[in-house]
Amino acid sequence: MNKEGTLYTVAFIFIVSFAFVFLLSMTNQATIERVRLNEEVARQRAVLSAMGVEATTVDEIRGEFGRIAADEEQGLFARRVDDRTVYAKEFSGAGVWGLITGFLTVTADLEEFVGIEIVDDNETPGLGGRINEPWFKEQFEGQRIPDDGIRVRAGHADPEAGIVDGITGATGTSNAMQAIINRTVEQFRSPDIRARLEELAGQLASGGEV
Amino acid sequence: MTPALNPISLLFASIFTSNILLANFLGMCSFISISKDMKSSNGLGLAVTMVLTVTTAVNWLILQMLQTLGLVYLRYIVFIIVIAAVVQMLEMIIDRVSQTLYMNLGIFLPLITVNCAILGVSLFMEIRNYSFIQSVVYGLGSGLGWWLAIMALSAIRKKVEKAPVPPGLKGAGITMIIIGFMAMAFIGFGGMLQVQ
Amino acid sequence: MSDVDTRPGAILKNNLWTSNPIFMQVLGICSALAVTNLLTNTAIMTIGVTFVTGFSNLTVSLMKKFMPRKVRMMVQTLIIAFYVIIVDIVLKAYLPEISRNLGPYVGLIITNCIIMGRAEAFAQSNDPIPSLWDGVTSGLGYMGVLMVIAVFRELLGFGTLFGYQILPDAFVPWTIMVMPPSAFFLLGIIIWAGKTAMNREGAPA
Repeated sequence: MNKEGTLYTVAFIFIVSFAFVFLLSMTNQATIERVRLNEEVARQRAVLSAMGVEATTVDEIRGEFGRIAADEEQGLFARRVDDRTVYAKEFSGAGVWGLITGFLTVTADLEEFVGIEIVDDNETPGLGGRINEPWFKEQFEGQRIPDDGIRVRAGHADPEAGIVDGITGATGTSNAMQAIINRTVEQFRSPDIRARLEELAGQLASGGEV
Repeated sequence: MTPALNPISLLFASIFTSNILLANFLGMCSFISISKDMKSSNGLGLAVTMVLTVTTAVNWLILQMLQTLGLVYLRYIVFIIVIAAVVQMLEMIIDRVSQTLYMNLGIFLPLITVNCAILGVSLFMEIRNYSFIQSVVYGLGSGLGWWLAIMALSAIRKKVEKAPVPPGLKGAGITMIIIGFMAMAFIGFGGMLQVQ
Repeated sequence: MSDVDTRPGAILKNNLWTSNPIFMQVLGICSALAVTNLLTNTAIMTIGVTFVTGFSNLTVSLMKKFMPRKVRMMVQTLIIAFYVIIVDIVLKAYLPEISRNLGPYVGLIITNCIIMGRAEAFAQSNDPIPSLWDGVTSGLGYMGVLMVIAVFRELLGFGTLFGYQILPDAFVPWTIMVMPPSAFFLLGIIIWAGKTAMNREGAPA
C-alpha cells in the first residue's frame, strides 16, 4: 500500500486519533471518581479551615465536617468551635483577573472574624496570588469587625482601626478582597441569611451532632 | 460564573499591566529569534494579533460545546487543532485577498501554530471563565501587547548590537536581561489601573 | 541530522551540557518560567515535561515507519497533546493542590518547543530506545536550569526551599524575586555563566 497516498493518510489519521482519544477517555473514566472526591474533600477542608478547625487526613475531614450544620444550596455553615457558635458563608467576587471564591467565618454575634479561606483565584502568581498565603489569612483570626467595614492596605496594618495588611504591588487584588469581605459581612447582617443561620445553629443545639 | 470585568479595563490590562509575554512568559521562543529584525517583528506581531483574536473567539465557542458534551478533558487537543486550522485558513484568505500582505505575513503564519501565547490565551480564557466579549477583548489585547513588546525589544536590540557586551553575555543572555528591564517597566503601569 | 552520536553517554553530555536546550538554544522557556518562583511547582512541572519529552520521542520513533510525511507534524502534535493530557489527568487525580497551582501551565507543555524539536531532530530518524533516552535527558537538562532559577527565586523571595523556612525571620524577602522580571534576570545570568564556562572549556559556542 502506498504510504503517501490519500486513502492511507486519511485512514492513518483516523486510526491514530481514535486510539489516542479512546485511551484518554479510559484514563479519564478511571480517575473521574477520584477527582470528584478530591474536589469534595477540598471544599470541606476549606470550610473547616475557615472555621479554624485543623483536619488533615480524609477521615478527619469527613468526621469534623459531619459536626457542621450545612445549607449547601446557599453556601451557609454553622458549627460550635471551642464552645462558641461560628457561622461560615461561601463568597465569590471579581478579582483582578477572574473570580475569587472562598469561605469567610464570623462569630455568631458578628463581632469578629474567625477566619478566611480562599478556594479559587486567578490572581497573578506571586503578586495578587499571595492572598492564599497563611500570613494574609491569619490576620483575620480574631479581628474585630468594624461597623463601616474593614480595610485592606499594604504596609498599613492596624488591627485596632480595622485595617489589615494588603499585598505590596497588588493594589487591585487588595481592593478586591476588601470589597468582597465587606460585601460578605453585609450579607451576614441581612435578616434572611441571619434567620437561616440561626436555624442551622438551632439544629446544632438540639442534637449536638447533626 | 463570569467575572464582572469591564472590557475596556481588560483590554488595557492585557496590553500593559499583565502583558502576556512579560508577565506570563508566553510566546518567548519566536520572540527571541525574530526580535533581531524590526521588519519581521512587525509582521509577526500583526499576525499574532490577528490569529489570537480569531482563535480565542473560535475556541470559546468550541469550549461551550465540549462542556455540554462533558469532554472538557480533551480541550488541549481540540484547542491546538483549532489553532492549526485557523492559521491555515487565514493563510489561504490572505493569499486571495492581498498579495502584498501575503508576502509580508506568509512566512510567519506557520510559526504561530507553535507559539505558546496563542494556546496560553485560550487556556487562560477557559480557566478565568470569561464571557464571549471578554474573551475576544482579552485575545485582542494580548496580541497587541505581544506586538508592542516585540517591537520595543527589537528597537532596543538594534542599539545593544553596537554596545561592548561581555562575550558570554552576547545574544540570548543580554536579551534576557533587557526583557527583565522591560518587564519591570511594564509593572509600573499597574498603578494606572484599578480593575474593580 | 544523520551523523548524530547515538551512544548513551554522548547523548547525556550533549543534552545536559553542550547543547542544553535552555542555555545554548533558548528553547521552550515559555511554559515553565512562570512557575519558577516555587521549587515544588518547578519540580513537578519539569518532571511532567521530562515525561512528555521522553515518551513522545519514544512514540514518534516507534511510529516513524508508518507515518505519512504530509501529516507528520500533525501526528506529532497529537502524540504530544496525548501525553500532556495524561499528565494533566494524573495531577488532577493525585496531586490536586499542585494541579491547581500550575493551572494552565500544564497544558502549555504542548507548545514547549523542546518537545517538538526533539521529536523532529532526533526521534524521527533514530531507534526507539535511544530516542526515549534523548527525550529524558533533554528534559533533565531543562529541569536543571529551571531548578537553579527556582532555588534563587524561592530562597530570596520567600526565605524558604520546598516550603521549609531556611533563612532566619530577620531576613526581609525580596519581593522582586517573586515577580516576573527576576526570572528573566536570573536566566540571563545563567546563560552568561554557562556560555563563559563553555568558552573556557574550548567547546564551540
